[in-house]
Amino acid sequence: MGALGYLYGKVLKNRIRVALRKPITYFYLAFILFYLFAVPLSLRIIAAEFGVDSPEGMAAILTLVAFWLIPGNLIAYAKRKGLVYRNSDLHFLFPAPVSPKRVLLYAYVKTLAVQVLLNLFVVIYGGAIFQVEDWRLGVYFLFAIFAENLLEGSVMLLLYGSENFLERHRVFLVGVAYVLGGILILMGVYTCFREGLSLETVMNFLNSHMVQMVPVVGWYIGVIHLILLGPTTVNVVGSICYSVLLAGVLLAAWRMKCTGAYYEDAIKFAEDYEEVLASRRQGDTQKRLGKKQKFKKAHITWKGQGAKVLMYRQLLEYKKSRYFIFDINTIVALIVGAAVAYLYIVEGGFGSFEPFVIPALAAYIIFVFTAMGGKWAKELLSPYTYMIPDTPFRKLIYAMALQHVQSLVNGCLITIPGAVVMKLSPVMAVLGIVFYVAVYANKLYALAVAEIVTGNALGKTGKQLLQMFLQSIVLLMVVMGALAGQHFGGVLMAYVFMDVFTILFTIIFMVIAMLNFYKMETV
Amino acid sequence: MLEVIQLSKKYGNTLAADKIDFAVPDGKIGILLGPNGAGKSTVIKSIAGLLRYKGMIRIQGKDARSLEAKKSFAYVPELPYMYDALTVSEHLEFITRAYGVEVSENQRKELLERFELTDKQEKLGSELSKGMMQKVSICCALITKPKVILLDEPMVGLDPAAIKELKNVLAKLREDGCTILISTHMLEMVKEFWDVTFVMEKGQILGTYAKENLANEDLEELYFSVTEQGVQSGQEGR
Repeated sequence: MGALGYLYGKVLKNRIRVALRKPITYFYLAFILFYLFAVPLSLRIIAAEFGVDSPEGMAAILTLVAFWLIPGNLIAYAKRKGLVYRNSDLHFLFPAPVSPKRVLLYAYVKTLAVQVLLNLFVVIYGGAIFQVEDWRLGVYFLFAIFAENLLEGSVMLLLYGSENFLERHRVFLVGVAYVLGGILILMGVYTCFREGLSLETVMNFLNSHMVQMVPVVGWYIGVIHLILLGPTTVNVVGSICYSVLLAGVLLAAWRMKCTGAYYEDAIKFAEDYEEVLASRRQGDTQKRLGKKQKFKKAHITWKGQGAKVLMYRQLLEYKKSRYFIFDINTIVALIVGAAVAYLYIVEGGFGSFEPFVIPALAAYIIFVFTAMGGKWAKELLSPYTYMIPDTPFRKLIYAMALQHVQSLVNGCLITIPGAVVMKLSPVMAVLGIVFYVAVYANKLYALAVAEIVTGNALGKTGKQLLQMFLQSIVLLMVVMGALAGQHFGGVLMAYVFMDVFTILFTIIFMVIAMLNFYKMETV
Repeated sequence: MLEVIQLSKKYGNTLAADKIDFAVPDGKIGILLGPNGAGKSTVIKSIAGLLRYKGMIRIQGKDARSLEAKKSFAYVPELPYMYDALTVSEHLEFITRAYGVEVSENQRKELLERFELTDKQEKLGSELSKGMMQKVSICCALITKPKVILLDEPMVGLDPAAIKELKNVLAKLREDGCTILISTHMLEMVKEFWDVTFVMEKGQILGTYAKENLANEDLEELYFSVTEQGVQSGQEGR
């Protein structure tokens, strides 16, 4: 086995071995399996309701994916940004006597396992939801794994690795990819103007011959239509064009010169990637891949002394950053809030559970999706935090203050749209927002408690597990509190009990969490 | 032998290396000196094949970008980065496969023992401290049996025993005819065994000094005399 095969195999094997030792892996697996079964079931109902539960529906969806993926990949490869290398690759692989073409293929092959998995889902869903014949799904799978990867891999080699492509050629190709994407969008807009905006129009457009005549993207779509729906003149011609393109690109990639000039760009991308990964691990979602984080000039008036400086420093950092205190959680809150309102209007109500839809969704999103850590966790990593002459309590309060403000904004976004359309009373809307802020704070403090209890003994996974365990208990108690409240005094009392229970547990966690700020050793 | 000929490198409008020329003969230890921002890292990364550049770099007479040249070349970067999911011994196995070198079990054991890594063989990259990573990085470079080796701040993070061992290893490599280029700020650590020194500033080589031509001059004194002269001539030039 060659060095790259050895590296790929060992990394994969060791990763799986390490993952299987962590209990959280089983939790995530159960979570994914649940979604894998739950999603097709619900999608089947939705697809049937909208009348897209046919092979044409699957062809249309794959066409839509192609609209997005093919120009996107072309742009990424032309900008030498589509492949992920880690710092360890820069250290060991790039200076080694391994052909730079193989180094490119190694990075590409790393994505193959995910591709195989995704295409397996496509095949399973294709049979379960869109009633595509088995042999057609088999052919699609073979096409997606072999032909499509041969083409994409060759295009990647040419665009990323070829040293005959100059910078101006790359800029030109990026332009071509945008033009291709633009043509498809314009065609769609034109069709909608002509025939009116409806699901039927969109489906007809996506399955139209017009789309299959667009070079490159259209040819791929032609092959998909040929496999899933049978031959037409246009998709047969498109498939022939696709085959010729595949042969040409494969030959060109085989013969191209590549001595590793792309390493410089790959290093830059890898460094960006590692930086983004590191900041995501800390709960900072503002850093974006390939974009240098820009800081604005900002000014604050520092007030107070001691631990208060933690809050003011965070405020200064937020004011300098592009989106202030808003991040991906804000967008999620906005989308969920709007979706609840929309679904309420469309469905005409949510049944007997209606008053609890918003708090239940809020608790679920915070429990499962919200990023861990954040600015307060960063404070724990800095020795200066411990050297500030102030009490641990004040340090905790000021280190977390702005995150509570952040969650207040998110709480408003997730609660208010639904509260308005459901005509909830202002008191209940406020209690709903308080609930969001309290559950979010509970998550933060539960993690801080986990820090205290596990230290470095159980690692990040241990902390996460304990934090989830603690918060599950709290949420269980809150549900029981809500039931008791509902029983004794109706919905309003249920809301009051929910808030009181959450706040009580949060205060308990907060007091324990304070220990984090005594000395660095506890971290 | 390592030859750097008319090496130039620009980042945007900034000229980081300006027509750099130097060579380190077989069996000699070259030291690359210069203040922060002098362009040392650019030169080093160019030699290691990590950057695009103008000019020519030759390793054992071959273009540094060729696979043949890379086979005889080893690189120890300033910051070691391990594969999180590979153990120490798997790192060594990967490198021997990548370089196509035959290494006996005894040679492997001896190398690990020299850097006190024997009991860390089965540790994953993610479980190693900075100092341990640096030791693994050095072992990975040495196991390839290089003809030319480039070390960027190799002593940073190492404990005194490892520094001593590294010095012994470098002395042995020199004896065996290996070409060694070290970039460092720790002048004390290299003062006993350097053969030729290149002092860089503002992307240029200010001077090349062979030890045999200098009468007992200390490396530190030499560095400061050259860089201060460089600053003065720069100021006079203005």
